Amino acid sequence: MGTYRLRAAVCCALAMTVVTGLAACGSGSEATGNSKSIQIWEGYTGVEAKVFAHMIAGYEKSHPGVKVNTLYVNSDNTLQKVQTAVAGGAPPDLAYLYGSWAPNVAKISSVVTLTNLVKQSSVNWNDFWVGERDVATVGARVIGMPALVDNLAVVYNKTLFAKAHLPLPGPDWTWSQFTADAKKLTIPSIKQFGTAYVTPGSEDTVWHWEALLWAAGGQILNSDNTKAAFDSTAGLTALDTLRTMAVTDHSMYLDPTDSAYANVFNSGKVGMLVTGPWDLSGFPNVKYGVQVMPSFPGTTAGHQTISGPDNWVVFNNGASRVKAAEDFLLWLTAPAQDKYFTLKTGNLPTRQSTANAPGYQSEMNAALPDVSTFITNLGNVKQARPQVASYPQISQVIGTMIVAVLLNKQQPKAALDAAAAKVNQILAGSG
Amino acid sequence: MSLSASIALGRRKTGERPGSRRLRRAETLTGWAFVTPATVVIGLFGAAPIIWSLIMSFQQSDQLSSSTPFVGLHNYRQMVHDPAVTSAIWHTLIYTALFVPGTMVLGLFLAVAMNRKLRFMWVYRTAAYATMAISTISEALVFIWLFDPSYGIVNYVFSLLHIPQQQFLNSPSEALYVVVVMTIWGWSGFAVVIYLAALQGIPQDLTEAAAIDGAGRWTSFWRITMPLLSPASLFLAVWLTINALQLFDEVYLSTQGGPLGATTVLVYYLYQQAFENFNFGYASAIAYLLFIVILVVTAIQFRVGRRFTYYRS
Repeated sequence: MGTYRLRAAVCCALAMTVVTGLAACGSGSEATGNSKSIQIWEGYTGVEAKVFAHMIAGYEKSHPGVKVNTLYVNSDNTLQKVQTAVAGGAPPDLAYLYGSWAPNVAKISSVVTLTNLVKQSSVNWNDFWVGERDVATVGARVIGMPALVDNLAVVYNKTLFAKAHLPLPGPDWTWSQFTADAKKLTIPSIKQFGTAYVTPGSEDTVWHWEALLWAAGGQILNSDNTKAAFDSTAGLTALDTLRTMAVTDHSMYLDPTDSAYANVFNSGKVGMLVTGPWDLSGFPNVKYGVQVMPSFPGTTAGHQTISGPDNWVVFNNGASRVKAAEDFLLWLTAPAQDKYFTLKTGNLPTRQSTANAPGYQSEMNAALPDVSTFITNLGNVKQARPQVASYPQISQVIGTMIVAVLLNKQQPKAALDAAAAKVNQILAGSG
Repeated sequence: MSLSASIALGRRKTGERPGSRRLRRAETLTGWAFVTPATVVIGLFGAAPIIWSLIMSFQQSDQLSSSTPFVGLHNYRQMVHDPAVTSAIWHTLIYTALFVPGTMVLGLFLAVAMNRKLRFMWVYRTAAYATMAISTISEALVFIWLFDPSYGIVNYVFSLLHIPQQQFLNSPSEALYVVVVMTIWGWSGFAVVIYLAALQGIPQDLTEAAAIDGAGRWTSFWRITMPLLSPASLFLAVWLTINALQLFDEVYLSTQGGPLGATTVLVYYLYQQAFENFNFGYASAIAYLLFIVILVVTAIQFRVGRRFTYYRS
């Protein structure tokens, strides 16, 4: 009798094992059944999440038989998770991926090429800002469509400018004006700084400087991305400009954690901040204004700025699901949806036609004061960062260079030369 | 049933009953049936990744493209010539050398202070352990502000005491020590709980006997309490060292390895290589280096520790 009970226990335990095993493999099998069902990985939270869910409900209503499943994934981790899903043979049909990953994303074999899709006249590809198109294109291959666009401009504290009896920054201002203003806005006794800079040495440190490099007429790499080009007069000008404020004038608050600067600005302790539209809602305590980036006189680069667009990327799960995902993507990025989503969320429009629609910018400003400057500033985005797979390593080298100069551990020229040598090594494949 | 079966088996070593072999086999099977689910889970999520990363450490893999050429010992050779690995090892060792004794001393001090009958003692004990319960992200945010060079309380207190203002997280020579202070604070609660439990296990008659023999409080602490705490100390030393060598969260949340790589410890460097630079092969090799370092350090600790550890039983 005892053996029977034993057998029952064995069967039970084995059954549990099988169930556990099946549960582990279960997630992939459900999606293959219905060809009209697509899976999207996105990182929207708060208002964005609500608006996006509402839009999807609308899409499902107007496209009977199509089921759009969304899964929240923290955008910082999406590529890692996509890598795992691709290795497991069950990638999402559509994923929101940072633009800086594009050259590496292009290496994934199941990424669908969208070059022909965006050529369709109904898409009006050139309606997207050039910075977005550049980031969605790796070599000659389009691997994604714009999901988000932003740019850097100068947000300034109007009250501090008034107290210092300084005229507010105008659209024609220069970096020497910025430096002079920063100096005048600095009051050490009350710990007030003219400006701030993030110094963890990450890409956030780097792209702020790259905007200056471009404005000074410089380039990050040469035209065929084989050698460093930032070790130029323009590179030196850009680095010297920051050094003057950080080292000579002490007018720059250095934030090594990349988390304090916004609070410090919101506390009225910083006069000017180079940042993007995402920070505006974090400044409720400050009467702020927004101005385009300053220029370097004597160059033709004007008030150039930098943009960090993100992409929607389609993955291959069979022809019918690719078709369903592409159809959804074309709908999502069409002018009507772009206008709706940005008006509801305060994000910048990904299409030029949206930005130029009558009444649009004033409607945006009503929700978020002066955001329209960021919208017009999209026109000052003339180029994208180099689309090379080794950009993350290059960025780390440039980040170290900038921090070394701002902490006064290295002179600009020596820092530039050392960084360029390292970047050349990386590009030669021996870094 | 199994109890009576094993008793029966134990009694009859020779001349087994005809049914007993079947019974024993059935029992083995039951045993396996019970451990199989856990074994499968551990194998799937523990052993498989360990073996897979070992294989990956001999490959050039970005986990993006499907090509993963076998490169032999290239990743390990590259590690030897990578100055960033050398400095990451240094940062990790300096950190460990400060963090482990620091946490143990602070934990012991607090535990001894709390090992008495006082009103509201539970409040102090809860407060001490709370450092363990607080999430690392809140801990990091608080310390970022405490040690902010311009607006932080620490520099404010320094100015009151006429100590020169420090750059803390902005200074390559100070940032690692700020991380040490931050993590000692975070882990001290854990050490307190372990030491407090061990202190309460020390029989009063021993300390009383020592007092009768004329031992002062200090002598009795060194001669009675400390030796009796040695198993707890060994456990803490091993546990904290393993954790210290794997430091990541606090660095990721506060300094991101900076300034100028001053807080780039081994695991943070590994993370950068894998998830920022997509060098999964190289990162796996670094992970194995770390594994060997931890293995060696732990083995030494057990060897040395056994000499100084006193088990009452």
